[in-house]
Amino acid sequence: MPEIFIDNKRYEFEQPGKVLQFMLDNGLDLPFFCYHPSLSIPANCRQCMVKAGMPVFDKVKGTFELDENGERVIRYFPKLMTACSLDLADGMVVHTHHSDELVKQAQADNLEFILINHPLDCPICDQAGECPLQILTYKYGPEGSRFEHKKVHKPKAIQLGPRVILDAERCINCTRCVRFTDEISKTHQLTIISRGDKNYPMTANGKVFDDPYSLNTVDICPVGALTSADFRFKARVWEMNQTPGIDISNGKGCSTWVWTRDNLVMRITPRFNEAVNDHWMPDSGRLSYRIFNENRISKPWIRPDEKEQVRTTWNNAELTLREELDKVKPPEILVIGSPHASVEDSYAYKAYFKSLGVADFYFLPHVIPGSGDDLLLSDDQAPNTRGIRALGYSEVAGDKLQKLVASGRPKLVFILNDDILDRSDLAPSHLEDAYTVYLGTNHNSTSRAADLVIPITTAVEHAASYINVDGRIQRTVPAKETLYTNRRLNLEMSMGRPDHYGTKFDNWVTDANRIDCIPAWEFITRLNSGSDTFVWESSRRILAEIGKKIPAFQGITYEQMDENNGIQLKLEQDSEVNTI
Amino acid sequence: MPNDWKTYKPLLLPAIKDLHEISIYEKNNGYQALRKILKDRETWSPKNVTSEVKTANIRGRGGAGFNAGLKWSFMPEPDGKPRYLACNGDESEPGTFKDRKIFEFNPHLFIEGAIIAAYAMQVEVIYVYIRGEYRPFVKMLQKAIEQAYEKGYLGKKVQGSDFSVDMYTHMGAGAYICGEESSLMESLEGKRGYPRVKPPFPAQRGLWGRPTTINNIETLANVPLVMNYGADWYLRIGPDTHPGPVLYGISGHVNRPAVYEYPAGMNIMTLINDVAGGMRGGKKLKALIPGGSSTPPLRADMLEGVTMDADSLREAGSMMGTAGMVVMDEDTDMVDLIWRISYFYAHESCGQCTPCRDGTGWLEKTLRKIKNGDGELRDLDLLLAICHRMEGRTICALADAAAWPVRYSIDRFREEFERKCKKTVYAVA
Repeated sequence: MPEIFIDNKRYEFEQPGKVLQFMLDNGLDLPFFCYHPSLSIPANCRQCMVKAGMPVFDKVKGTFELDENGERVIRYFPKLMTACSLDLADGMVVHTHHSDELVKQAQADNLEFILINHPLDCPICDQAGECPLQILTYKYGPEGSRFEHKKVHKPKAIQLGPRVILDAERCINCTRCVRFTDEISKTHQLTIISRGDKNYPMTANGKVFDDPYSLNTVDICPVGALTSADFRFKARVWEMNQTPGIDISNGKGCSTWVWTRDNLVMRITPRFNEAVNDHWMPDSGRLSYRIFNENRISKPWIRPDEKEQVRTTWNNAELTLREELDKVKPPEILVIGSPHASVEDSYAYKAYFKSLGVADFYFLPHVIPGSGDDLLLSDDQAPNTRGIRALGYSEVAGDKLQKLVASGRPKLVFILNDDILDRSDLAPSHLEDAYTVYLGTNHNSTSRAADLVIPITTAVEHAASYINVDGRIQRTVPAKETLYTNRRLNLEMSMGRPDHYGTKFDNWVTDANRIDCIPAWEFITRLNSGSDTFVWESSRRILAEIGKKIPAFQGITYEQMDENNGIQLKLEQDSEVNTI
Repeated sequence: MPNDWKTYKPLLLPAIKDLHEISIYEKNNGYQALRKILKDRETWSPKNVTSEVKTANIRGRGGAGFNAGLKWSFMPEPDGKPRYLACNGDESEPGTFKDRKIFEFNPHLFIEGAIIAAYAMQVEVIYVYIRGEYRPFVKMLQKAIEQAYEKGYLGKKVQGSDFSVDMYTHMGAGAYICGEESSLMESLEGKRGYPRVKPPFPAQRGLWGRPTTINNIETLANVPLVMNYGADWYLRIGPDTHPGPVLYGISGHVNRPAVYEYPAGMNIMTLINDVAGGMRGGKKLKALIPGGSSTPPLRADMLEGVTMDADSLREAGSMMGTAGMVVMDEDTDMVDLIWRISYFYAHESCGQCTPCRDGTGWLEKTLRKIKNGDGELRDLDLLLAICHRMEGRTICALADAAAWPVRYSIDRFREEFERKCKKTVYAVA
């Protein structure tokens, strides 16, 4: 097998590739700025320089030339090479800063060059704390600078587009953002303008950087030159907890990091997942974080006697619901599921009503034809359409739903977390005759039309799985506490610096940010408190139960999903009806 | 003997009236080399043409001095897909102004050379990249190209043979870096003029990812001479290692600054004193930049017996470059000169690689500080340190080109630099 010697240690490689990527794959450290595994290699930051050489091959003897000690004679390249663009070759010898003083010096020199025109305004820079330039300077940089002149001044706080703001002085010209728009989003909206130390990325004259993926440039910017207009100045990196999650604003289900502070989601960034979204995610998914914070339903709401809705207690909500259930026969109940609800919630919801004798379960797909693209946006706006199809919910179009209500004349309507009034021909008046129960996360037109509103958890508050448009099952991890969960007791929840080390004075704990809600499956368990049929302790148990009943879910566990960033399920294309 | 400069008859720019007209050029042996090749395709197969040019050892006139025929031989075998010849007429190195003379006075010589080169490399498309400031010369060349098309030297089936070739001119937008071959290709492709990472080399992946060779205008103008009179004849002009006629662009403090054509390997003092009419106002020679601003400057006392060819100049501690000689008399302020050169490079750095982008600016600012009399002795050491950190650490050679003049002038004119710095040296008691 071909071999390579890095810092006098032997490594074997199978695939041809570049030295830097090989080193990163093997857990070796080398500083770099412009290189990005998913973009082309411009080799322009010159930070990953190494000393490299090849053994001298004696063609006559057919062996490598050896010196008097029996070691291979190495012919080094006359200049230092950038590891990012250097091809792996059999027998190659590479020396990094660990074994070569010249390389170490060259890396420090390069950082000195980068920093002479960098404003060094880390204390007021949004990138501080997650800034490769800051981190690598501490690790590899010179102790000080010998630059004694005025730095080059460039425009600051330019609104490049609706979501991205540029500080040109901080830019180190790595061209990652330009390459992203050229190679990934293919909008070609950014370019570098001007020359030499005055250059910076910019859009064409009069053009706006409104790329639907524009915020990815903020992620890949190795300095604070590109910042998010939305997140700017909101929170410091070290104040936030970082929890893995998935994007529920779109059918693609990109893997995400959910950043929370004081139980508010501050931002959502993409998490690397080779099978789904690589390093990227659409702007719409990132900006959907508001639904977790704002306009949330906290505590049950009830409408006494045709009046305005008022807050009520969980006890009262439960008792009222039981009374209403006792009044009706199963055929008089209309159960509407949701492509926005998780697999576990949808399963529990269906299983419960099935046990009562309800036969039909409907859902209204949330598809906007033509809104998707070839990259990471699908027409499907809901995270779990494939999932609830697999669970046996039948699809009903918006106009049919109204007919269904009109003809069936249900006395009791259950709607699971979906703003169906907004998307169908159904009007609040159609539901007037029935007692409507809405289990939802946010206030919307459907919740306002309901007679009883049960608050349930969102994807950032519960552990639950969702199946994306490609049939991949992925799960969320609670990132945000509800009134009933606790970061310190729940081992799955991430702990930030303030949680670990903070006192009660510097760790924000605002009770108002903790929503009074429970997972839908937990509410259903409560309704069933008399029986022993549906007693679930956790969403894990529900998934295990689904696995026993539906072949496609067999053997699927959260652990497996965590390990592989989701699992590809073998689902029938459409209308898979399973009996539960 | 063509090596006697006094009796030398110019070959590239002969003194013939209206030579830029194709009829006059044809009367004066013009397009004979091309006709000869196309008439006898057996003898002059593309391979043989290449090897003839390789034997003639035409050293690239764009600065690197690489054997042109050898460069052609790097082109892979044709595979039926497009391949290109790019002619570099960017000529943006300060002190260089030779190609414009070819465009103006003998464009057909260059066109013929380019067609022969295209034939030798089996290329069907030639691009001529000319700097935007040369608009009048582009027009002149364009007119010559049109004439060549009319006479059937360019276009489909050149002179009735099965060889077709097209020539296009392309104007740059004023960036020095676009004279570097890989950024020239980027610029031709319509992109920002950023030099490319090598490897792959242009002969492997050049314009639009296809094999491409880039030659200087003057280099190609030498090709018809070789094909007309043979490599042996060509090798007898000038020194063995650096044969052929050279266009010396002499500027600065001489009485007759101009472009002069003489064999390579001319004695520098002869060029200054006899060819260019001696120093202006009878002043003493102080320094010489032998081949464009990026070549290290030489002190007057280093010029004894030095001739204008690659080997002699390397021994003397400089380079041939483009043979754009800048002559400076005793009144020249070297600090001011080097600052101006540094200013040029700081302005022209494309900004791609860190050491060049920030290093050129740093050099310029430090030199300006010294020039303005605020310099300190440690600034000289700093300048040398910056040069050391820039050299060989970038994709293209602009960082080296920016660092060398500074490094070598501090080395060679240190006293003068120190004198400028002394004003603000404070004694530490």
